[in-house]
Amino acid sequence: MTDEDLMAAVCDGDQSAYQTLVRQHLNAISHYAFRLLGNRKDTEDITQEVFLKLWINAASWDPKKAKLTTWLHRIAHNLCIDYLRKHGNTQTQDEIEPQHQEIDEVINQSGNWEQQEQTEKLNDAINLLPENQRSALMLCHYAGFSNKEAAAIMNVSVKALESSIARARRSLRATLEQAETTRGEAETIG
Amino acid sequence: MTLDEFTHILEVYGSDAEQWPDSQREACLHFTKVNTQAKALLASYQQLDAKLNTIAAPSFPGLEQRVLTQSLPAKQSGLLDSIINWLLPEADSWSDLWRPATAACLPLVLGIVVGNFYSFGITVEDDGFQYWDDELLMLSFNEYSGEQQ
Repeated sequence: MTDEDLMAAVCDGDQSAYQTLVRQHLNAISHYAFRLLGNRKDTEDITQEVFLKLWINAASWDPKKAKLTTWLHRIAHNLCIDYLRKHGNTQTQDEIEPQHQEIDEVINQSGNWEQQEQTEKLNDAINLLPENQRSALMLCHYAGFSNKEAAAIMNVSVKALESSIARARRSLRATLEQAETTRGEAETIG
Repeated sequence: MTLDEFTHILEVYGSDAEQWPDSQREACLHFTKVNTQAKALLASYQQLDAKLNTIAAPSFPGLEQRVLTQSLPAKQSGLLDSIINWLLPEADSWSDLWRPATAACLPLVLGIVVGNFYSFGITVEDDGFQYWDDELLMLSFNEYSGEQQ
């Protein structure tokens, strides 16, 4: 069944179609929300709300205007931005620490210690990016959206999106180079 | 192709040549072969992308079940709900704003139509003169001199 068929069924109150859509899109939405919010609890709340909105507002999705995944990411983006504006744009230490542990679990599965340290620094640098740059990076690099689709999700012009992602990549590359320089110096001293 | 243009493409589209604009891909690939700085820059962004790929979001065990089992409101199916949905489109669909605007104008139009057909007890006194001009003309035929005598 296509997204259109499933959404039509959801409009008619078909819960099995809803369940299929949840299984198809849950990971993408939760990962995006996690990257924007930075903690597990809020990510789960927002993800749940995204799918509740899918159920309630299914009739308002227009397949001619946007793909379903784009529409869902836009809902998630708006909910996350609202949340960040209400609760402040910066993550507290209490939120960052558990997130470190969660990311470490993923990183520890592969690579040596130096690589892990470098990746952790990069992860920290991502979390410190302004919200628009972080969103742009998540949508274009991780979610695989085109610049045009990512701009539609973030409700900005393509030019603004490209400016955000360029700044994000420039900043992360500088972080990575700095980490490499530090590592090189440490090896020289050692 | 200049180094600045190539840098811009790497920053905007990343190091994967498949993501670069079709119109510039060949030029970019050629540039990396002839320009050592471009080659080094590409390697640097490839390293960044590779590092970014090692960072994955954690899994959320239990979230799927939580979303699947959340209580969903009953679907709106009444005529009134359909009308309301039609009249009040989503906030971000500006193209449908004519619907609530039309709905807002309806009472005005209805008022004009009803007022045109029904008087609701308000009558205009009709004494046979349709115009003030007619009335003035009739007054001019009166004999006022006799009254003075």
